[in-house]
Amino acid sequence: MNRRNFLKTTALAALAATSARWNLAMAAGTGSILTLAHPTSFPDLDPATSFSNDGAVLANVYEGLARYIPATETAPAKIEPLLATSWDISEDGKTWTFHLRDGVKFHDGSPLTSEAVKGSIERTRKIGGGASFIWGSVTAIETPEPLKVVFTLSEPQPLDLVASAGFAAWIYAPSSFGKDNAWFNAGNDAGTGPFRISRYQPGQRAVLDRVEGYWGKVPEGAFQTVSFEVVEDATLAQNMIESGQADWTYSLPYENLEALKSNPNLDVVVNPSFETLFGLYNVKRAPLDKVKVRQALSLAFPYDDVIAAGTSGFATRAKGVVPAGIWGHDADAPVPKTDLEAAKALLAEEGIEPGLELVMTYSTSQSLEAVAGELWKANLETLGITLTLQPMAWEAQWQLAKSSPEAAQNIFVMFWWPTFVTPYDYLFNLFHSEEKPNFNLGYYSNADVDAKIEEAAKLSGTDRARAEKLFIEAQRKIIEDAAAVFMVDQPNVHVIRKDVKGYTDNPAYGHVTFVNELSR
Amino acid sequence: MELLRYILRRTILSAFVVLGVTFLVFIVAQVVPSDPAALYAGPRPTAAQIEKARQELNLDAPLPARFATFAMAMASGDFGVSYKSRRLISEDLRAYLPATLELAIFSTGLALLIGIPLGVVAAARQGKWPDRLGSLGSIAAVAMPTFFLAMLLQLVFAQWLGILPLSGRLSREIAIGAPLPAVTNFNMIDALLAGRLDAFVDAVKHLILPALTLASYPAGVAMRLTRSAMIDILERRHVVAARALGLSEPRILFGHALPNAMGPALTVIGLSFAYALTGAVLVEIIFAWPGLGHYVSEAILAKDFPVIAAVTMVVTICYVAMNLIIDIAQALVDPRVALT
Amino acid sequence: MTRLVQRLGWPGTLALAIVVLFVAVALLAPWIAPYPAQGAGTPNVLAKLSPPSAGYWLGTDHLGRDILSRIIYGTRVSLTNGMLIVAFSLLIGLPVGLAAGYFGGWVDEALMRGTDIFLAFPALLLAVLMAAALGPGFLNSIIAVAVTWWPWYARLARAEVLVLRGQPYVEAARLAGVSHPRIILRHILPATGRPLTVQAALDVGPALLTAAALSFLGLGVLPPTADWGQMVDAGRKFFPDRWWYSAMPGLTIFIVALAFSVLGDALRDRRQGARHASA
Repeated sequence: MNRRNFLKTTALAALAATSARWNLAMAAGTGSILTLAHPTSFPDLDPATSFSNDGAVLANVYEGLARYIPATETAPAKIEPLLATSWDISEDGKTWTFHLRDGVKFHDGSPLTSEAVKGSIERTRKIGGGASFIWGSVTAIETPEPLKVVFTLSEPQPLDLVASAGFAAWIYAPSSFGKDNAWFNAGNDAGTGPFRISRYQPGQRAVLDRVEGYWGKVPEGAFQTVSFEVVEDATLAQNMIESGQADWTYSLPYENLEALKSNPNLDVVVNPSFETLFGLYNVKRAPLDKVKVRQALSLAFPYDDVIAAGTSGFATRAKGVVPAGIWGHDADAPVPKTDLEAAKALLAEEGIEPGLELVMTYSTSQSLEAVAGELWKANLETLGITLTLQPMAWEAQWQLAKSSPEAAQNIFVMFWWPTFVTPYDYLFNLFHSEEKPNFNLGYYSNADVDAKIEEAAKLSGTDRARAEKLFIEAQRKIIEDAAAVFMVDQPNVHVIRKDVKGYTDNPAYGHVTFVNELSR
Repeated sequence: MELLRYILRRTILSAFVVLGVTFLVFIVAQVVPSDPAALYAGPRPTAAQIEKARQELNLDAPLPARFATFAMAMASGDFGVSYKSRRLISEDLRAYLPATLELAIFSTGLALLIGIPLGVVAAARQGKWPDRLGSLGSIAAVAMPTFFLAMLLQLVFAQWLGILPLSGRLSREIAIGAPLPAVTNFNMIDALLAGRLDAFVDAVKHLILPALTLASYPAGVAMRLTRSAMIDILERRHVVAARALGLSEPRILFGHALPNAMGPALTVIGLSFAYALTGAVLVEIIFAWPGLGHYVSEAILAKDFPVIAAVTMVVTICYVAMNLIIDIAQALVDPRVALT
Repeated sequence: MTRLVQRLGWPGTLALAIVVLFVAVALLAPWIAPYPAQGAGTPNVLAKLSPPSAGYWLGTDHLGRDILSRIIYGTRVSLTNGMLIVAFSLLIGLPVGLAAGYFGGWVDEALMRGTDIFLAFPALLLAVLMAAALGPGFLNSIIAVAVTWWPWYARLARAEVLVLRGQPYVEAARLAGVSHPRIILRHILPATGRPLTVQAALDVGPALLTAAALSFLGLGVLPPTADWGQMVDAGRKFFPDRWWYSAMPGLTIFIVALAFSVLGDALRDRRQGARHASA
């Protein structure tokens, strides 16, 4: 055939092939692909060291011994059996026996045994990265039977809470124990969960496919494939969720939520989260070494305005540092109200002249922190205090604060969220005395508070009620001492397409979607 | 002979420049207050983890030793691992460099494609309204802030008209449902290699808006340079003679004048490529284009020094190489250049 | 007035008017702005994200501040940014170029290789690197951009000096035994200074654009100071529903940069026209 016909035929053939491919793709069911748009990437897919947004991916690929289910309107919080069906605690709280579920298989086909559990936790501890410190009190792990694991602790700890953590508590296959971090980050996995990682493009997306023979229940119309897309730009994420290109996302600007709520295709799910925003006062640097000055600053903070302007009313006032929804939250905590007159009086009492300059550092990417700073600054201007707002990268901010009390900033604004669900995580990390500060960046030190925190930690496993009481007492002293300005409890706001069924938000696992429970 | 010496000289100078840049980057990294160990140790490290990281990274070694290891590693292409992600930087570069190069090349092509014909028309209709409109357009293109233009293009073509995609390199259907095998990571090339017409079209559609954003300024420059070169030539005697002989206008324009005005084209290519490499930082953020600009701006904010060093090196080498090629091309076109 | 139009043409005159207006607004900001306190940064939460209206001509931002006032106050930042960037670049580039051009030889080679190294860095990348190293802040962002700009002035200065060095009166001065510094200060510098300052004044526009790009990336002035680039970035997540937040400062940047560009063109044409006429 001549050249013209040849070209025409080729073109038509190409077109036909193309449309065939298209049809195949459509038939495979874009309906059974779930697309999640995450605003940050997944840096570390190694279950031993994962400690940030990668938890969202790993929570669908791996499982731990148990899972924390937060309190609902009708039921109190509980710890649900997952890979362990039940557990017993000894009298002194130092020996925990977990009974494992029978018939669970890892993705490589090997069975879940106590050896696998022991090996996973030991590898996690040996590498020592990420959140491995949660197993710090474990002195020995025994495997008397294939489905029984016995933990011996140096002091009583709530091991059920530890084992249901979203980090460092995953159980993975013995065949992967010898693998290094690079193997996991190439996109390989060794979990028991309903999905496996089939494709991983670092910084862009992780695509998970369902595994055959998952031990748990799989609902009708469940998803076969889920794609975790990294969409750092909030504008793009919003576009994607509105056009249906993404099925779920979060971290959209609060101001746009009203419009999203009235969109008939979308559901806006608002929940308290376990994240709280606060500013630690550097109590070792004058004039913030005086309690009254710190109290004055806290009285000058525009709590309601920040909630209105910074979160469009979605956040709630923080009552101390332990947020609502966690056990140990103190709903009646004596936190101050905005009162500029009282602040002025306190400043006068301490003889603070107008012209005082203070430095507040916060994280560059955090718009809520910026808004809080700007509104606070305006209030402080009326009291004659100049607040310099300094956005810095997290590491830079941290380094400045750790350098020395005299050189460190006056106010360190940050979010905190717990590694596993306990008030201890907040109070110990942020307010327990430290010789060289790690996260107690306000240099706060009070022996009584320290003692209460330590005591409560020991009781968390065996006598949760008493532990709660002690944590609350410790926090009340911290509030009284105005060691920090407790700003807001950040809400979890997730936007999801209406046709996706079965979604619940679990604040114990930040921004994790348990895809297995969903269907379209 | 002169030409060879010129080439040799330029090549040696380029190598020297690259070395100088290496040194500069290293110095800047030392001055920057940061704690690489804290970054390396993870998102919420304990003091013990930071100490371990500090030892792994060998941060206490003396400065000259560290520069030596750094320079040698760069030379052998071993860029090390990112402090933040602990991934091999060379792997990341393999994914991100082609994306940015694709943008740079495509936008350079667009700049020439738009600017040169417009310049020809403006020269041919000198003083009349196409010329004035063209001038206005080229000035506007230079003055428009890149990030704002990107936002406007997105608004008009993606949101209002809906004919071009909003962001990314490939649509979701192809990226997830029918992925391209990654050979070169230049999506257009990979699509052709795999015989996937649908992916090729998709890749081009996604390239248009970001490349257009980056092409506007160089197109403006191309237009003006072509215009003045053309005007210059059109006034020369042999062209006047050709006209007198009755040759058709298009033939004169494209057959005689334009080829002689190609000199500026080379300059524009160099300029456009350079502009695209720097402007990529802004465009990649707005179009969520997974390229070097985006990669390095994240690293800069996090003070992830190995990434910053590696990307700066790679981009500078591209830049210097491109300039070298253009210098040689210019010397070939006009041997007088070799005498400078 | 007609002579001005004659020299610059209508577009040029309009551009000059805009530039003059820009400078005037910068100087008179607190008196022109409808809400000076908001322009300086005081929040006004109740009027958050309001569209353009009689009360707020260009709408309000996410803290309820009048955008017109913020743009007016932003003029001060932009103008100072532009001027200081150019000034700092000249401060570094002029001496380097003068020395290279005047002394020639290995001094010239060394200095020019130095400028080559800085020119080899993609400009914005280097500026971002410097800004990140120094931290955000007004002065820091200026230094960051100046570090990428000075090579151009060095090259320009050098080119001018090379022409001047061959002039007979300079030769004569050398022969008469006048010292190098005196020759440079009294003869070379004034002659070089003029074309460079003209170039510098017109470069304020592009300098402004680069500074805007830096503050768009979050590396410019600290909040709550009003800054056009930073405003465009802040308004991006509300675009296009609440378009005024990004569009107004974006258009302002465009118009001011355009004015400088048109003015530069008009002045260049005038000079070239003069040259052609005299040739």
